[in-house]
Amino acid sequence: MQKAYKLSIIYYLVFSLLLIASAVMLFEYKIGFSYEGVLDYYLGNEDKFIPAKSTSGLLKIALPHIFSFGLISMVLLHFLVFTKLRYKKSTLTVIYLTFLSAALEIFTPMLIVNGFEFAALLKLLSFFVFLTLILYISWLLFHSIIHD
Amino acid sequence: MKFTLIKNIKKDNAMRLILTGFLSFILLYIISDTLVKYFGFGISVETINITLFGNEEEFIDPITKASFLEFWHVEIFFMMMILLTLSAIFIRLANRSRTFMVNTLMISAITSLIAIALAYFVSAIFVYLYVITFFIWHLSALYMILYSFWKLYAKGV
Repeated sequence: MQKAYKLSIIYYLVFSLLLIASAVMLFEYKIGFSYEGVLDYYLGNEDKFIPAKSTSGLLKIALPHIFSFGLISMVLLHFLVFTKLRYKKSTLTVIYLTFLSAALEIFTPMLIVNGFEFAALLKLLSFFVFLTLILYISWLLFHSIIHD
Repeated sequence: MKFTLIKNIKKDNAMRLILTGFLSFILLYIISDTLVKYFGFGISVETINITLFGNEEEFIDPITKASFLEFWHVEIFFMMMILLTLSAIFIRLANRSRTFMVNTLMISAITSLIAIALAYFVSAIFVYLYVITFFIWHLSALYMILYSFWKLYAKGV
């Protein structure tokens, strides 16, 4: 791969870090990282003046995220194909886990508002797993670009 | 990203047309982004300060933290996708100053994103850095788009 392409991929990884930072800040500010915080945000809480979310409202939030999660995952993961890691079995596991955690992160709120409160834990878990995987893939790519 | 593998793009009519269409849309995005910010968020130090911190004399409320974070989040996503694709096309077509232009574009874009967050959360002084880097990355992108068009169509280049 040409040096200039490697450079633009490294910058893309920096953008990914910024995106993760903004996602964490937004999640922490609007929802919070506790089980109760997630339930309050989606089911509402009269004492805290938080309105409950409707399924149609959640779909409006989910719609741009379905596109952006898919695109970001695809772009990051397809760079792995240009590295030696494409032949490793663990790469397949990372690909499965990335798309699965992204889907869970987007759709668990639908479960929460439809009576499955345990999905609040899944929401938190999938959020952190997805971001951790994005960080892990970014590290793998950075390492490959520097050393290969 | 198939265009990165084609040997002579100028002889591949379909790929040349596809890249022309895509570059036109990136150009439209750069122009629209400037216009939307001009009429909304602001592109001068004074207007951005009013958006971020409000103005008591004119009864303008500051942007809420949730709105700012949403704006920042969306901005990062669009910029990373557009600048990655633009730089990939430019690198494929340009012969010289590829590294310089990619560095200028990306560093100014990343700095503008960090600067606007620092302006909101730390100090209004960073608005100056945001405005400078905002124009640097827009002008760099504009140059890269126009240069790519020229490389796609100029004879004997």
